[in-house]
Amino acid sequence: MRHRLGQADRITVPFRMLSHRFSMAVMLIISCALLLFGRAEAYVFDDARTKTVEIMAPVMELFSAPLSLFRNWLGNFDDYFDVYEKNRQLREENNRLLAWKTRALRLEQVAIRYQDLLGVQLEPEITYISGRVVSDSGGPFVHTMIINTGRKQGVTEGQAVVDRQGFIGRVVGTGREASRILLISDLNSRVPVLVESSHDRAVMTGDNTSRPNLEFLSDNAEIKAGDRVVTSGSGGMLPPGLPIGVAVQAGDGKFRVQPFANQARAAYVRVLRYEFPKEIELETDEEVVTKTLSVELPPQPPALPEPEPSPAEPQAQPLPPTESQPQVTTGEPIQVLPLGEPDEPLGDDDG
Amino acid sequence: MDRSLSRPLSALYQLSIPFVVALLCVMFSMLPLGLSSGVVIAPSFALMAVYYWGLYRPDLMPPFTVFLVGLFQDLMSGGPLGLWSLVYLAVYGVVVSQRLFFIGKAFLAIWFGFGVMALVAGTISWVVSCLYFGMVLSPLSVLVLALLSFVLYPVAARFFAAVQNQFLIQP
Repeated sequence: MRHRLGQADRITVPFRMLSHRFSMAVMLIISCALLLFGRAEAYVFDDARTKTVEIMAPVMELFSAPLSLFRNWLGNFDDYFDVYEKNRQLREENNRLLAWKTRALRLEQVAIRYQDLLGVQLEPEITYISGRVVSDSGGPFVHTMIINTGRKQGVTEGQAVVDRQGFIGRVVGTGREASRILLISDLNSRVPVLVESSHDRAVMTGDNTSRPNLEFLSDNAEIKAGDRVVTSGSGGMLPPGLPIGVAVQAGDGKFRVQPFANQARAAYVRVLRYEFPKEIELETDEEVVTKTLSVELPPQPPALPEPEPSPAEPQAQPLPPTESQPQVTTGEPIQVLPLGEPDEPLGDDDG
Repeated sequence: MDRSLSRPLSALYQLSIPFVVALLCVMFSMLPLGLSSGVVIAPSFALMAVYYWGLYRPDLMPPFTVFLVGLFQDLMSGGPLGLWSLVYLAVYGVVVSQRLFFIGKAFLAIWFGFGVMALVAGTISWVVSCLYFGMVLSPLSVLVLALLSFVLYPVAARFFAAVQNQFLIQP
């Protein structure tokens, strides 16, 4: 028996080696062909990717479910160390925020009045779908994330994704109950942004680092480190005004964005459902001119009465009728962002 | 009769174990552990699996399996298709050709060998990605990946050895 096996081996080993080399070569060629083909026709494999995500998301969810426990524990562990300090900070912050709340409510009233005066098309309200992150690493050169909500819950491609702190990416692929999110740090990520204080526009491009680049800033941009960067909504892909991060100056003098969100720590995210105004009324030049004139015509814009310092009901005050935009729902103040980390942006002003 | 049937089944079973382990490794690398901050860089457990099985039982991990593991990772990550198949196949090819050198060596030598292969894998993935995306990428992330993988290899190797002893018949 042993002798026969040995003989068989003597015959088969060279054959096996040959077959090994052959299959090695074939597989290498297929890999290269896939790379070249995928480079030329990027969309070809989208279906395969989506299907994989769709099938694997429940499996990943099964594995990652016990992790939430571990992550909670880890998070709590961190908290124990600075519970007193954190408490003091939160108290201070709360006092600051209360002052800000008053101011915000007042400004909201002012903004509504101005919007009415100018006939501004109000942004539609944003609703959101929450999802749990089931996979968060695409490898060293691809920054994607898989979440456990998909078409069934109303997620569609292109929707913005935020975590508690701010914008983290957008949906690039949807399965039935899973979606893939392209994070802002990915090489393929391009987000039109607005620098809030100076109103400079730029495109935020990912480059595999945790701080995306700000590109296409105009030469006379008055951007400075610490400025808040938000989505501009240009291009009609993302809702405007989502906080992304603050501008920081890199070593080479270029500006980058330090995101508010920590994408590596995101356990739950929200996919924002945002209906873009579909029908854009085309206005002739004369109409625009008359509209502009009618706005400028009153020599004195009606003085805005100072609202009460603490209007508990922002809607209580009667608003001027909105002739130009009858469809605008003035009753509900628009919620541009349901989330937001007020700590950083407010901290600067308070300083 | 019984034997003639059980043999191919057993072979299939034996082949499936390293494959399933490698697939689990791919998934494990992608689990949201939330340990890092900023950009996620996870060690490549699949690379460890390819190295381990290529070294000890290449008969149970043929190139086809290695290719599928890489393809699975590419499909899951949403990145260029074929990237990790190519990287794993290259590492596998080197390991299989050098296994006679490694077999019988102390674990430290094998561990060190993995460190070298992790660097090779990082370099290949970096070069291919640079070509694919048409720009010079920062090699920092692959260096971190290689380092993390190197540090964690002994843990993974212990797990693979346990699987090997538990489920596989020695040749």
